[in-house]
Amino acid sequence: MNAIGFAWRSLVRQPARATLGILGVAAVGALLFDMLLLSRGLIVSMQDLLDRGGWDVRVSAGELPGSGLRISGAIETAEAISTLPSVQAALVVRTATTQIDRASGRPIRASFQGVTTRSADPAGSRLRAPWTILRGRDAEGRNEVVIDEKIASESRIEPGGEITLRASCIADLEALPATRLRVVGVAEFPFQTTNESTIGGTFDALEAACGGNVGTEADLILVTSKGDADVTAEAVRTLRPEIRAATNTEVVGRLQQTGFTYFRQISSVLTTVTVSFAVLLITVLLTVSVNQRLGEIAALRALGFSRSRVVKDVLSESALIVGTGGLLSLPLGLLLASGLDRILKGMPGIPVALHFFVFETEALAIHIALLVATAIIAALYPMHVVSTLPIAATLRDEVIG
Amino acid sequence: MSANGLIIDAKNVSRVFSMPAGPVTAVRDVTLQISNGDHIAVRGPSGCGKSTLLHMLGCVEPQTSGTLLFDGQDVSRLSDARRSLLRLKQIGFVFQRFFLLPMLTAQENVELPLSEAGVPRQARQKRAIELLEYVGLAARADHRPSQLSGGEMQRVAIARALANGPRLLLADEPTGELDEATGAQIAALLDRVNQAGTALVIVTHDPALADRAARVLMMRDGQIESERTR
Repeated sequence: MNAIGFAWRSLVRQPARATLGILGVAAVGALLFDMLLLSRGLIVSMQDLLDRGGWDVRVSAGELPGSGLRISGAIETAEAISTLPSVQAALVVRTATTQIDRASGRPIRASFQGVTTRSADPAGSRLRAPWTILRGRDAEGRNEVVIDEKIASESRIEPGGEITLRASCIADLEALPATRLRVVGVAEFPFQTTNESTIGGTFDALEAACGGNVGTEADLILVTSKGDADVTAEAVRTLRPEIRAATNTEVVGRLQQTGFTYFRQISSVLTTVTVSFAVLLITVLLTVSVNQRLGEIAALRALGFSRSRVVKDVLSESALIVGTGGLLSLPLGLLLASGLDRILKGMPGIPVALHFFVFETEALAIHIALLVATAIIAALYPMHVVSTLPIAATLRDEVIG
Repeated sequence: MSANGLIIDAKNVSRVFSMPAGPVTAVRDVTLQISNGDHIAVRGPSGCGKSTLLHMLGCVEPQTSGTLLFDGQDVSRLSDARRSLLRLKQIGFVFQRFFLLPMLTAQENVELPLSEAGVPRQARQKRAIELLEYVGLAARADHRPSQLSGGEMQRVAIARALANGPRLLLADEPTGELDEATGAQIAALLDRVNQAGTALVIVTHDPALADRAARVLMMRDGQIESERTR
């Protein structure tokens, strides 16, 4: 009987203890797995969100896009950027606050994203808007918009219907003119938060909604490079030193230095705690198990079992507990991550499409490596106990006891 | 194997334990030779050093002084791994409390030393069945220790001790946990083992068991006080 078979029999001998150990590792392993998914989840998810639209450089007036500062002379700037050799296309995004009137009930407050249709694409094709059409088609005309699911549901409007809205492009306090726009599609806006409502349309549609008071400012210019995004960002910075151009990777890097750091720190602390807890749990279980079998172990040593063999038996026992618990921890961890993700996404200001827990092969590899380390570290003390067991004294004590 | 059939040659071996109240000499200047086929009983009052001597002969207790040669090899010079191998191949142990592994069947318990010695699966299963037949327990091969009586457990333990065909079988109070009738059965089994050529050293308080031995060593205060031969 090899060490694994022997360890398995030892575990089965005490089913309650073995089950307790395995369930303990499964629970702790699930938390550990979740912490690993959390440690990079936001970064991976944000990077995915930024890359999803195909825009690899973001130009804004502030340090990060969405800071509230606006780029002055945005249309001209976008035109100048689109003429840079490394740039394939540039698209201006202007946001305004709107109120959508309803036949009954309070108006819906929403954000109106107006985008230009300018392009440096030789084919002159229309640029892809920074949203995804779910039903209907994309807005093209001066009086067309797309709405999100929330507005569609609350105002019971589907593609083909009309909305009356009042948009404010210059200041919140301005008198809002009412405009009727045709809804041509329902779309998903990647950076929309849980409590937010958004409509999208062309820059012309936004101008119409704002009664022509759009001005020349914009919140963001989205750029698609022909090749290296870093080269494009540098070219934009050279062209207009007063504005900020950042590649998606740089944006994620800046987010990492700010808000995302907290999640990483929390996950690091909790990872350490969970691994320590798993080590203590297995160490205690194995030590108790070994101490109860000292007589048997001494007898096996007397019968010729080598020191390395009895050490292997203990290590195998640890590996079986941690291995089985670790396997169970994966589905348990994914289930837990899905629940926690839902809770965390309920926080204000979090884009609906952003995820806190994202599965990565790297996280799985680290999870496995940590569990292997746990199995070894947890077995160190009980392995020391059996390897230094005084055979004769133990046999003597067992008889006296 | 030495030409003269000498298995153990112990010269002036002593074992001193360091205790908080001062050193305690458990075995003092014992000189003893054990050859192939010997049948030796060690008797004496509790605490006289019988078990310690047995453990020294079984290479699980190092001597503090003197020399102990097993098959001509100085045991004190052997590494732990070499001593383990020596015990595995050359020495069998039978304990008062049997120490069978409760999660294994009788056959699996007997197979353990064979497995450790690297005997292939089929060969070790065949050998285990043979040994269980030898001790009269072939029908109980699939039983766990908890399903066996004390005498049956000791018979399985003897079969386990014989698994690798040791030259020397050491038994520490093998009938200590058994009633008189069962003890007699175990004694008869041990006689058979010895008659088959295995040297036997039994530590016992039981005069009836000791009287079956060819040599009876009487110990007192860690020393062999007298030796009676039959």
